[in-house]
Amino acid sequence: MDIILKIVSIGLITCLATLVIRPLRNDFAIFIGIAGGMIIIFLVINYFTGVLSSFKDIISYTGLNSNLYTLLLKIIGIGYLLEFTAGICNETGNNSLGDKVLLGGKLVIMVMAMPIITNILTIIMGLLPK
Amino acid sequence: MDVEIIFKIAAIGLLTAVVGQILKQTGKEEISTFATLAGLVIVLVMVLNLIGDLFSTLKTIFNF
Repeated sequence: MDIILKIVSIGLITCLATLVIRPLRNDFAIFIGIAGGMIIIFLVINYFTGVLSSFKDIISYTGLNSNLYTLLLKIIGIGYLLEFTAGICNETGNNSLGDKVLLGGKLVIMVMAMPIITNILTIIMGLLPK
Repeated sequence: MDVEIIFKIAAIGLLTAVVGQILKQTGKEEISTFATLAGLVIVLVMVLNLIGDLFSTLKTIFNF
């Protein structure tokens, strides 16, 4: 319960600090927002490694190829990075830039996931009666 | 990774705003601009360090 208190208080402090700074200097308010978001993510990023290692255990039980797991991990990481970057872009007022970042990331994810999709398709084609 | 970086950025913002206002009042427009720019660069470096830390951590977690 300690960590949730930390997250909530950091969020509130960041909000109030941006509220105080925004009329004085608008650009600094954005920096405060970014820093607050970073601190919250760094607080919870250790939990993430725990979740990922338990995922790895589950994958090893199923006996799937571990390449699939690393690919999935990469795609999840790209998703988080994109979300974060697009959020910063939107916050600074560049909404269209954020959309382009998201679009580019989606395309990269699509390209990375293409081998899996073709794999599934070839399996299905093999199952079909000739 | 502490909360104090938020307060640091807020304090630098307040300080540069006040210093810029004072310098502008005393008629030193160009020094005021430079003071504001210096504050902005300091904060920018702090935030960029944070972003770089985040990216390297994500890189190690998701083994890119």
